[in-house]
Amino acid sequence: MNVIETHKLTKYYGKDMGILDLDLEIQEGEIFGFIGPNGAGKSTTIRTLLGLIFPTSGSGTIFGKDIVKESKEIKRHIGFMPSDVNYYEKMDVIELLRYSADFYGVDCAARIEELAEVFALDLDRSILDLSQGNKKKVSILQCLIHRPRLLILDEPTSGLDPLMQNKFFDILRQENRDGTTVFFSSHTLSEVQKMCRRVGIIKEGRIIAVEDIETLRRKQLRKVEVEFASPDLRDRFAIEGMIFPRKHNHALNFMYSGRIEELIRVLAGQGVEDLLIEEPTLEEIFMHYYDDEETPDSEERGALQ
Amino acid sequence: MINRNIFRRELTRYRGSTIAWCISICALIVIGMAFFPVMMDENIMQQMRAFFENSMMKSMMAAFGASFDNLTNVLGFYTTRNSMFIMLLGSFFSIMLAGKILAREEPDKTAEFLLSKPVTRAEVFGSKLLAYLSYLLVLNAATVLVGFLSIELFRGESEYLLSSFLSHSLYAFLVMLSFGAIGMFLSLLIKRGRPSTGISIGIVVGAYFFDSLSRITPAADVFGYISPFKFVDSGVLRPDYGLEWWRVLYFVALSLLLFGLTLWKYRKKDILI
Repeated sequence: MNVIETHKLTKYYGKDMGILDLDLEIQEGEIFGFIGPNGAGKSTTIRTLLGLIFPTSGSGTIFGKDIVKESKEIKRHIGFMPSDVNYYEKMDVIELLRYSADFYGVDCAARIEELAEVFALDLDRSILDLSQGNKKKVSILQCLIHRPRLLILDEPTSGLDPLMQNKFFDILRQENRDGTTVFFSSHTLSEVQKMCRRVGIIKEGRIIAVEDIETLRRKQLRKVEVEFASPDLRDRFAIEGMIFPRKHNHALNFMYSGRIEELIRVLAGQGVEDLLIEEPTLEEIFMHYYDDEETPDSEERGALQ
Repeated sequence: MINRNIFRRELTRYRGSTIAWCISICALIVIGMAFFPVMMDENIMQQMRAFFENSMMKSMMAAFGASFDNLTNVLGFYTTRNSMFIMLLGSFFSIMLAGKILAREEPDKTAEFLLSKPVTRAEVFGSKLLAYLSYLLVLNAATVLVGFLSIELFRGESEYLLSSFLSHSLYAFLVMLSFGAIGMFLSLLIKRGRPSTGISIGIVVGAYFFDSLSRITPAADVFGYISPFKFVDSGVLRPDYGLEWWRVLYFVALSLLLFGLTLWKYRKKDILI
């Protein structure tokens, strides 16, 4: 069963396009990574799913219910963590968490205590006095305490230190084992690759790929660096399956999608001084598979990294 | 239409400021009424009758809804001050509270938290409207009670009709309600924001100005009708003074229309953060 389903979901802000013809299917029980550079439409998608903004056209369902007409019913079973945490400044942490819990009509006292201990969060402090990292922790508790069936996390790790990130990921895995579906947005693939089974890539408001992490890994792409004896030799070198060659002093860097044996055969007797063949990160795989331009433009690389 | 959780929260959120407004307005009422016996005792008014009967002075006073007869009767004196302080200050309170109670979740960026909870837009609106109405009722209950007590305390020999006092107080409430409806509607027209204090006060003062202008200049009478203040009947000393249906209808219809438009708009509004 699909927990989230969208069909040609489109959102325009006046004349500016937010997302266009978005088709998404998130299956029950999976951890789905939603990857894209800043401004690609991740938050627009999430806000449309949550009914904060309304689609210009297209439709979507969560738990089989319409995201516009049955938003309230849907939100009973959602835990949402925004990218930018903003709470009522005059409240204490515990007041805010109780206020949040009361919307679901469940007693969350024990769960609050338990999670506060895990994340070393002081419940009696005022929201106003919290650092961004601590606000993020409040936000984690706030989205988990009512035991939702679906977690929607918008860049959840920004502002969290690595230790807390790991604790958070542990909890997410635990929740996921208990049956919670996780929709995890991020601008870095490397962050979600440890967590997710599938990822969707969004760029300029459009989904450009939905892939299994494992499929991606199996795409036999290798990152090769060859150090030649001279630039001449370097420039003469050519092989089929070479993508994005880049020259650097005597070295040649490229992605290679052919057989390794063939590579070694061609390289033999070419004055190779050093050779490095490694598995590229998923980040690099995406850069090469999904960039429509021949040379990836630096700005986007920056955003994706 | 009501979410009890939001309603409870809103009822604590503005409690302090509402109490402060109540105390300020009530203090002004008591201080103002304390002048009534002083003026009567020393016959200041009687001595100044000629001055007040002067036609220029008459129209000046009319601008403030006052007249000589008005000022020498305890209820007339009260309502003259009433329209100055209770209605103006109460309208400031009302337009500002209504202008922020719903809309401030956006500039404060808390709308993302609130609207990701299992609530409908109509429930958010309904709960906040009810909280606003509760505050407004508390403020009016306090001013009516303190007003009544201070009239009784300082009236001396001066007689008045309780029904006239209550009718006028209800008009004051309706004026404040209308400004609240204006404030809340306005707050939804502003993208990612809410009306500033300056704009809110400007609207009330502007409306008061148009009403005053229409009272001085008969030619400007028609302009007065764009102001809710114009629909308050200030002739409290008429024996038949009471609520008139068309005045009440105006306030109720205006408020219902604007609150209705606010709900209609809020249900479809994109919440941008």
